[in-house]
Amino acid sequence: MNEATQYKLKLERLGYHQFRTMERHPTNYLCKGVSTGTTILAVKFNGGVIIGSDSRASVGGSYVSSKVINKLIQIHDKIFCCIAGSLADAQAVTKMAKFQLSFHSIQMDSPPLVKAAASVLKELCYSNREDLEAGFITAGWDKKRGPQVYTVSMGGMLLSQPFTIGGSGSTYIYGYVDAKYKPDMSREECLQFATNALALAIGRDNVSGGVAHLVVITEGGVEHVVVPGEKLPKFHDE
Amino acid sequence: MSRGSSAGFDRHITIFSPEGRLYQVEYAFKAINQGGLTSVAVRGKDCAVVVTQKKVPDKLLDASTVTHLFRITENIGCVMSGMTADSRSQVQRARYEAANWKYKYGYDIPVDMLCKRIADISQVYTQNAEMRPLGCCMIVIGLDDEYGPQVYKCDPAGYYCGFKATAAGVKQTEATSFLEKKVKKKHDWTYEQTIEIAISCLSMVLSIDFKPSELEVGVITAKDPRFRILSESEVDANLVSLSERD
Repeated sequence: MNEATQYKLKLERLGYHQFRTMERHPTNYLCKGVSTGTTILAVKFNGGVIIGSDSRASVGGSYVSSKVINKLIQIHDKIFCCIAGSLADAQAVTKMAKFQLSFHSIQMDSPPLVKAAASVLKELCYSNREDLEAGFITAGWDKKRGPQVYTVSMGGMLLSQPFTIGGSGSTYIYGYVDAKYKPDMSREECLQFATNALALAIGRDNVSGGVAHLVVITEGGVEHVVVPGEKLPKFHDE
Repeated sequence: MSRGSSAGFDRHITIFSPEGRLYQVEYAFKAINQGGLTSVAVRGKDCAVVVTQKKVPDKLLDASTVTHLFRITENIGCVMSGMTADSRSQVQRARYEAANWKYKYGYDIPVDMLCKRIADISQVYTQNAEMRPLGCCMIVIGLDDEYGPQVYKCDPAGYYCGFKATAAGVKQTEATSFLEKKVKKKHDWTYEQTIEIAISCLSMVLSIDFKPSELEVGVITAKDPRFRILSESEVDANLVSLSERD
């Protein structure tokens, strides 16, 4: 690896994602095989959380390797996480997190806290930060604190937020979510909010697309909602 | 060779005696009786049940924290007989083995594989001179995808086997003969019959008329494969129907 690429890797690790542009030739693209250029989000509403993502997996920014992958991984009964970054890394980390969480919950004889799930992911991301390239959004419901949303960045930072967006497509919708988010929305309002956000991001980001996967998690259980591409809301220029 | 018992360390560590016995393993079996409890497990046509006594010797103890039934995975549970600390250690290891299997192979561990793994670990203790065998006996129940409900028992010697019905603990022999008589007549019992047999076995053998707070019952059924510990009211209902039948 020459100095230029080493430097670029270091900057990327520190968060300078501008280096991932379309103009880059695929062989220079420092991706680990299949990557999820993606849009992921999670939003808290009154009584639950909605976690959502697009469904496109791409290699090198120009080849869509899958139109329908599910980036919403269930790591426990009422805790989901969505993945961004290298698919292989994300799958390995979520598999390990599932193992640790199931063991933890059997020992405790109760479902794990969402914070515990997020902490497990954070620990895996941070301890292996040199080798991994995956970020997560964890959302779920537990008896102690109700609905929660956590974000675990690629380097291993853990943060709790009322809503969060991630992935390459998220840059196009910061304005929308900042303007339109209200605390304590109803389930329907929140579903509309999340679907709109995903539709807008998919509309502008070339590495996000396919269908919108949404999961609604409440005390009562888990509900999957899939919005196919043609049913996504359309905006003025479409 | 005709010296009889040896003057060596065969009673102190797990090495062979001149007669070919492992004294430490035999002592481990005796240690199971130290717990003073008996447990019974029965396999029905589409369910498996474990029952054990619940003795709370000290009035200061919080009865809700005293238990010998443990969940190992969502769909596998066990009853431990013998020394409590050794039991907990073995359960912890079983939980880890089950979770590790799921992580490595992507599917839930079958009951017999779990029992085999625990038995293999117990066998290692019978060969290692530096570690003693654990003084506890584990009876595992679970629902197998292919073979239906299963009851497996593994002991400190590292031996394990599947059973139609089995018992462990102080009154093991009496309980086993009671169960043998029942199994001879028929052995595809319904859920209610299975629980009744397990509870009546304990009752007969220990000559105790149980109250719901003195029993712990764990069940797995084909309809609900999750390992479930019955609440006091459910145990009460079963005891009532048992006494009405008599």
